[in-house]
Amino acid sequence: MRLSQILTASLVLLCGGAARAHEIGTTRVAVLIHDDKTYEVEIVTDATTLAEKLEASAGASLPPGISADRLQAILTSFDETLRRRIKLAFDGSDVRPVIAYSVVPPIDAVSAAAATIRLTGPVPPGAQNFTWNFGWTFASYAMTVGSATQWLEGGESSTPVSLTAAAPPPSRISTAGRYLKLGFTHIVPYGLDHMLFVLGIYLLSRHARSVLMQVSAFTVAHSITLGLSMYGLISVPSRIVEPMIAISIAYVAIENLFLSELKSWRIALVFAFGLLHGMGFAGALKELGLPRSEFVTALLTFNVGVEAGQLAVIATAFLLVGWHCAHRDWYRGRVVVPASMLIACTAVYWTIERLAF
Amino acid sequence: MLLLRLALLATPLLAHDMWIEPMTFSPQTGEIVGVKLRVGQDLLGDPLPRDPALIRQFVVEDSEGRKPLVGRDGADPAGFFRVPAPGLLVVGYSSNPSAVELGAEKFNQYVKEEGLDAVAALRARRNETGAKARELFSRCAKSLVLSGTASDAEADRRLGFTLELVAERNPYSLRAGQDLPVRLTYENRPLSGALVVAMNRLNPSEKLTARTDNTGRVRFRLRPGGMWLIKAVHMIPAPAGVDTQWVSFWASLTFAPKGS
Repeated sequence: MRLSQILTASLVLLCGGAARAHEIGTTRVAVLIHDDKTYEVEIVTDATTLAEKLEASAGASLPPGISADRLQAILTSFDETLRRRIKLAFDGSDVRPVIAYSVVPPIDAVSAAAATIRLTGPVPPGAQNFTWNFGWTFASYAMTVGSATQWLEGGESSTPVSLTAAAPPPSRISTAGRYLKLGFTHIVPYGLDHMLFVLGIYLLSRHARSVLMQVSAFTVAHSITLGLSMYGLISVPSRIVEPMIAISIAYVAIENLFLSELKSWRIALVFAFGLLHGMGFAGALKELGLPRSEFVTALLTFNVGVEAGQLAVIATAFLLVGWHCAHRDWYRGRVVVPASMLIACTAVYWTIERLAF
Repeated sequence: MLLLRLALLATPLLAHDMWIEPMTFSPQTGEIVGVKLRVGQDLLGDPLPRDPALIRQFVVEDSEGRKPLVGRDGADPAGFFRVPAPGLLVVGYSSNPSAVELGAEKFNQYVKEEGLDAVAALRARRNETGAKARELFSRCAKSLVLSGTASDAEADRRLGFTLELVAERNPYSLRAGQDLPVRLTYENRPLSGALVVAMNRLNPSEKLTARTDNTGRVRFRLRPGGMWLIKAVHMIPAPAGVDTQWVSFWASLTFAPKGS
């Protein structure tokens, strides 16, 4: 491989991200469909360059320094020429729109006059889709239909745009179901750190009261910070929250080695750790995104999902070891201590890892 | 030299030229000049607003040295510079690559139009003539602006673009009957056998064309009056392992000597 090829290769690779860029011009096209009955297409483009192209197509040229009024008159006079390179079709059949031209003067000495070309007409009854082509631009431009955008090269036909109403926004029930599931899967199986924390809480004592008190404190606390974070009232960077979560797991597990009864300070600490974990949940939920229309529903159901995930962890631990072994003499020595040590080691490793990166 | 007459806007528009169009080619000392970027064909161009994602270099070189052109993102004109003293100023814009994919027929036609014979031959040898082609293209545009009176002592300067057209004499000081020697370089070495095209704003369908000689040079006899665009395209196969088949560079040079 020649040096130049290597250089080019590295250039191409370096610019891999930028290579998606397009030469985007100043033209933009917006399509509105009103109640499936009428359409309105608005082209905003540079008036002078469009007039130049229209004049050139007639073998003439545009003198410099033309007023906005004169440009508007030129565009209007070239109506038939302009139509030759505009294609608006419903279900593949071309329609002939009514076209109105307006040119606004430039806002200052160096700006250009902008032309607004409005194409209107009735939508053929029962039309399913429409296609668009604007052949008077060389640069790429955006065509928006409602909230959807297609990037088109000059002269490139759009892909057919469906006219059947966009899918309605998901209902409250489906949003609730979705976020309930997201909350649950954030614990089981994706949230190994939260699972270990809950296991740490569970392993402290064989009494149901201990589990109940700790879980309640944890739940109340993480619900508070999850809500406050999602409403933007508090914000702690994840580079602080994530290592702290790892430390909290290590603390709970290590304390299990020295403590076998529920103390009031343990509840207070679990509450404090819950505040941390809530901020962690919020970070995850922000990444997932919340629907603006069903913000509260999504927030509450996500929290409930998290809760259900935690209870599932405790229920599993109880069924696997607690039920049969919790009252045996060897329960603490063979289950609580080794498991807590394992959790503590993992959490210490995570703490170092999260601090380092 | 070959004179071509191409029917204006008769063929589908495939590959587009890109050039620099200052708001004046003959500014006063101290004047602030807006620099428009244009993309199009036959000197009919669309505004290319300032796009920081595309700009690799956007500079002006005057007697004081090289400076970036200031401007507001998304605006046309894409940049502005101030003329510090009389003399010849070189404006340059080089872009990051953009991707484009063309169908086999369109790509073949465009390769033919731009005189990229080596590319056509390589496609034929690889049995790719019937295949669509993906290309990464970059712009290497320059413009010469004269403030004050022209001097033979001044000339265009190299900006170091990957593909670059350099006017070896000051186009503003040419007298009637004198040729303008233009040199085409690729990665700082002369590029021979490349098609160079010159066209004038006053009659863009009339094109002057020439192939570069072994020293990368062509000579054009250009009449004064109207803006001239000189352009050349160079395309090479993309290196292996890249999601594209071809890499192209588009050099252009604009200037506008006043008519008598």
